[in-house]
Amino acid sequence: MSQAKVKKARYRMGRMERKNTLIAYSFLAPNFIGFAVFTLVPVICAIALSLFEWNGGDISKLRFVGLENYGTIFAVKKVAEKGLGYFFNRSDLGISLRNTVVYTAVTVPLTIVCALALAILLNKIRGAMAFRTIFFFPYVSSMVAICVCWSFMMMRDGPINQVIMFLGINFNKSWTADSTMAMWAIILVSVWRNMGYYMVLYLAALQGIPRELMEAATVDGANKWQQFRNVTLPQLKPTTFFVSVMMVISCFKIFDVVAIMTDGGPGRSTKMLVTYIYDEAFTKIRYGSASAIAMVLLVIVLGVTVIQFSSEKKFSND
Amino acid sequence: MKKMLSVLLAALMMVSLLAVPALAEDQVLTVVTWDATTTPYLTAQKEAFEASHPGVKIEYIDVDAADWPTKAPSILAQPNDKSDVFMIKEIDQLINWQAQGYAAPLTDYIDGYDMSGFLGTEANYAVDGVQYAIPFRSDFWVLFYNKDLFDAAGVAYPTNDLTWDQYAELAKKLTDKDKGVYGTHYHTWLSTVVNWAVCGTDYTLADGKYDNLLYFYKLYQDLEDSGACMAYDELKASGLKYAAAFENGNVAMLPMGYWLVSTVIGDIKAGNASLNWGIAAVPHADGVAAGSSFGNLTGAMISAKSEQKDLAWEYISWLGGPEGAKATASVGARPAWVSAEVADVMASVDGFPADENSKGALLPASVAMEWPVADKVADIKTIVNDEHSLIMAREITPEEGIEEMNERVAELFN
Amino acid sequence: MESVVHTREIRKDNPVLRAVLRAVIWIMLIALAAVTLIPFAWMISSSLKLDREVFAFPMRWIPETFHWENYAQIWERVPLLTYFKNTAFIAVVVTILQTLTSSFAAYAFAKLNFRGRDFLFLCYIGTIAVPWQAYMLPQFIMMGYIGLYDTPWAMVALQAFSAFGVFLIRQFYRSIPTELCEAARLDGLSEYGIWARIMLPLSKAAIATLVIFTFVNTWNDFMGPMIYLTRDENKTIQVGLRRFIQQYSSDYHLIMAASLCSLLPVSVVFLFLQRYFIEGIATSGLKG
Repeated sequence: MSQAKVKKARYRMGRMERKNTLIAYSFLAPNFIGFAVFTLVPVICAIALSLFEWNGGDISKLRFVGLENYGTIFAVKKVAEKGLGYFFNRSDLGISLRNTVVYTAVTVPLTIVCALALAILLNKIRGAMAFRTIFFFPYVSSMVAICVCWSFMMMRDGPINQVIMFLGINFNKSWTADSTMAMWAIILVSVWRNMGYYMVLYLAALQGIPRELMEAATVDGANKWQQFRNVTLPQLKPTTFFVSVMMVISCFKIFDVVAIMTDGGPGRSTKMLVTYIYDEAFTKIRYGSASAIAMVLLVIVLGVTVIQFSSEKKFSND
Repeated sequence: MKKMLSVLLAALMMVSLLAVPALAEDQVLTVVTWDATTTPYLTAQKEAFEASHPGVKIEYIDVDAADWPTKAPSILAQPNDKSDVFMIKEIDQLINWQAQGYAAPLTDYIDGYDMSGFLGTEANYAVDGVQYAIPFRSDFWVLFYNKDLFDAAGVAYPTNDLTWDQYAELAKKLTDKDKGVYGTHYHTWLSTVVNWAVCGTDYTLADGKYDNLLYFYKLYQDLEDSGACMAYDELKASGLKYAAAFENGNVAMLPMGYWLVSTVIGDIKAGNASLNWGIAAVPHADGVAAGSSFGNLTGAMISAKSEQKDLAWEYISWLGGPEGAKATASVGARPAWVSAEVADVMASVDGFPADENSKGALLPASVAMEWPVADKVADIKTIVNDEHSLIMAREITPEEGIEEMNERVAELFN
Repeated sequence: MESVVHTREIRKDNPVLRAVLRAVIWIMLIALAAVTLIPFAWMISSSLKLDREVFAFPMRWIPETFHWENYAQIWERVPLLTYFKNTAFIAVVVTILQTLTSSFAAYAFAKLNFRGRDFLFLCYIGTIAVPWQAYMLPQFIMMGYIGLYDTPWAMVALQAFSAFGVFLIRQFYRSIPTELCEAARLDGLSEYGIWARIMLPLSKAAIATLVIFTFVNTWNDFMGPMIYLTRDENKTIQVGLRRFIQQYSSDYHLIMAASLCSLLPVSVVFLFLQRYFIEGIATSGLKG
């Protein structure tokens, strides 16, 4: 091949590449412009904003303060003075973190157990589509409607307390007005709403377990329980891992149920991370510290995601 | 020729179409306020203002009262917001908004504007000597009572000189569990239970010491235990409105802000409620003058981004002044502008209780501010409300709650 | 060993035991389904009562008389129709934009080679992991500067360009053999043609999943409208319902009737398209 020919070919390639890139960009543009303006830029701004003080008003009131906002939300001075106990028992961030962690720690296993139980029962019966629809239904119904319905049902003279009284337990308070039961109310509604969703994931995983494995176990003389423990559960491990990670992330983002049912109360007993962000950002108008709290949320969620990615190999089947 | 004519005609029609609405268009003043559809005085003010200012229309942007603390700042924060006037629900909000640059100073307008009728309350809306808003409503708390229930129980109506202990006794006497009658009613706010501590004294809720509240928590819990009022947790979960509670006719007494007068009058007129009622001065603590009450100021400010500030001033100056006061008083609300003329209007409102006692309750001995203007008052409010809700839900004893309030507020400042 | 095999055979061959087991599973499923549906049943029951009957003791599941007029009343008291219209508008626009732009962008990511592809894709993936609540504040401030506050377009901008949609469709496109595209290119089809004639028709299932996901999520979104929508005429059904609850807080029967109305449209959509929805979750395993 002569020099000139190569040059020409390269030139043509370059032109084609440029043309291809242009075409690719034309495919990307409609989504990317919206994505960049409404997601990418705000994400970057959020990080920056946490280093500024801005209590509303014109943008000229923006003032760089470095890590001061973090110092405030972590109550650094007080913690240095009174110990870590102060952070978790008294500071707003500590309490909302603690509440969010408690909520997550109870909701995730409870949802998994319910979802798995439903999936196993459904898997035993062929063609029980109606049940699948029923269990899934709460997931698509709107939060406001079901939360208000649940909080009515959990009222002092509501049906749930009537059942509790019938069982001989003396509890005659509205759930949402009691600081322990308010948390349980939120957990219950979350589990009830989400179990159908994770049930579907488990159902798919169960149906993906190779028949031969089960048969082999039966031939080996395993009874139902042993079969479940030694074959089904290990086979479901990747799903369980995936489900827990997703659920932990969505639990840390909880807002709707709290906003509708308890508004963080009574006292601060159901104040969650996002409730706290919302309050600082939109009621107290402290954009800087609101963004700093948002960064705490971001770090937690990203941390969980990184754990997921790095252990994906460990848990995958192949 | 024909074609030309038709084109000309079409062009003419176009022009006239464009021109006519432009000529007839009213000036529209946008006013951001809360619960506009259910607050009678807002309707009365709008009607009266539009009647006396032809060519100007008031448009309310209606926010739910419960959302006001988040929504009003959100609207103000919009760089392109075109709203002209914002009403002020809490004094400290105005102080924040002024600091954020959202409130237009009234310096250019205030010269020659007569503020004598505000009796000095307008000073609450001034920062460093500059006036930022005009008050138009000044509420104080009174004791509403249901005459039918008092008659049925054979008990004399409450007087304008009642101590809190006498009041509690009265509430228990009027309670009739068989008929589902409650002696009194406490709405779920902090103010209904403990704000009484500020009446007739120099004490404020921003002072950082809350031991004065103990007496009122004890009083409340005693009433709740004896069934003389609906339980807090039930009210909190059901969200029962105080107006509905009173108008249902099974609550004998209700300490509440004066603004309820206009609601009750309106609801009775509209046929949504029927009861025989009266007002009395709120009870007082021992050693405090009878008729001491607390209250709140409602006002209006001009948004710094408003493009028709002159018109907005026209509106808020009218709203606070004697003419606006008459409109406000005409539906039973208490205007900030106080004069003999306005007091007459208040007492002569159709539906206002006719007895002398109720009229007497219109003249409180003193009105303390529900919350003072003070440093970090928003954070203090949050803390006091947090602990209050725990005390009310019986999670902690009043003593424990008060100690928490003392400690947490002290922590804010060091 | 022998005895174990023996019992197994007995169990397998014992039709009575098998029938009992099946019956037990059925009973458990029915009981659980009943528990799951109780709130809805209570909602329906309460919506047909008088307000004082709602918490009567002992509670009656079937009201003494059916008060259908409750449903007429709510339409008079709140602009439910406006709320429905607004929500439908937002949900439809978001769904169309989301599906179109996502599948467009996904094609570039899955089947085209261009400079900066991996970096851009990393940006997309990275933001999927970032919770919206972490950047909602700067977004809110920005929307203010653009002038979208308190308009339905704020909700559209918020939801229509999610990275999730691009990711979902891209994963699906990657499973379509590249040879198909190559062949089409040789036949003289432009890239746009390939997208329209080959990729779109082949990815119906994935697109159906994205459509219904986006629609349901947009319809049920609460926090976005709560932050952005103020005027009554702009509110969606979720925040409108909340306003209704705040205004008529003790009219339990009316609140339940309104709540039920708010559930209806999305329930109908779900019942008709549930196959795509449930199977979409099962295969993609991703949450919107």
